[in-house]
Amino acid sequence: MTIGRWGWIGLLAVAGTGLWLLLGSGRVFGHDIGGLGMTLLIGCTWVALYTASSIPRGEFEQGASPGEWKAWIGFAFMLVATLYFVLHAEAFSGDDRAAARRVATNLVLLLVAWTVLSRLMASRWKDRVQEDERDREIETRGAAWGRGALVVGVISLAVTLGLSPEHKLQWATHFAIGNILVFVLMIGWLVEAAAIALTYWRDRR
Amino acid sequence: MTGTPLENDIRRLRLERAGMTQQQLADACQVTRQTIIALEAGRYAPSLELAFRLARAFGVGVEDVFRWKTP
Repeated sequence: MTIGRWGWIGLLAVAGTGLWLLLGSGRVFGHDIGGLGMTLLIGCTWVALYTASSIPRGEFEQGASPGEWKAWIGFAFMLVATLYFVLHAEAFSGDDRAAARRVATNLVLLLVAWTVLSRLMASRWKDRVQEDERDREIETRGAAWGRGALVVGVISLAVTLGLSPEHKLQWATHFAIGNILVFVLMIGWLVEAAAIALTYWRDRR
Repeated sequence: MTGTPLENDIRRLRLERAGMTQQQLADACQVTRQTIIALEAGRYAPSLELAFRLARAFGVGVEDVFRWKTP
């Protein structure tokens, strides 16, 4: 399936709209626009990857290994998830558990979408080497960066909670702390994904 | 990942073998084409196993493929 230049531009416009809706808030006709944005974004990604999978192999993978493709797409997904979490952080600081559930549901959907898309990508390269020793070395280095970010985040949280006067910790409910820990974990994954993608990019320069 | 203390003749040896492509060499050594590219550019030092695979693909010894960089 081919969609031409204008098709790709249209797809990008729809994906951008989906991203804008996902990162926004509120409801339209009773439906959470974040969920609508998620649907548009995932739908566009499906179409893009399906179309890309029909492009001749040599032309598509020119210059980038399967590991690098996975790294950049993983980074994009993690960036969207982190931005979405940050822009909807207020859902986890109040008592509106329904709002928090909506945000958590969309994050889980993103994770599921990434898992499915990574399987789709793996099937495209099923008759080729998908990961070799160089890929593993790059992943190890990226994981070290992610681990460092995680350590910094956890220590920062511990210092804040331990050294702040009690009257300044009214926001620190169990629910809020739990979600901050999840956010720190997401930052660690984002830093790991970014480090891996940048290492591949720098290696090709 | 950038810069290694080793030099190699992978590209020369590959082209001497009836113009073997990077993908063909990658398939023979069970690595990605991008790893072969990084090796030829001197940006990656292979493991001992990969070094032996490369040498075997060319039918030569490891020291005919890799050597220390001359200062």
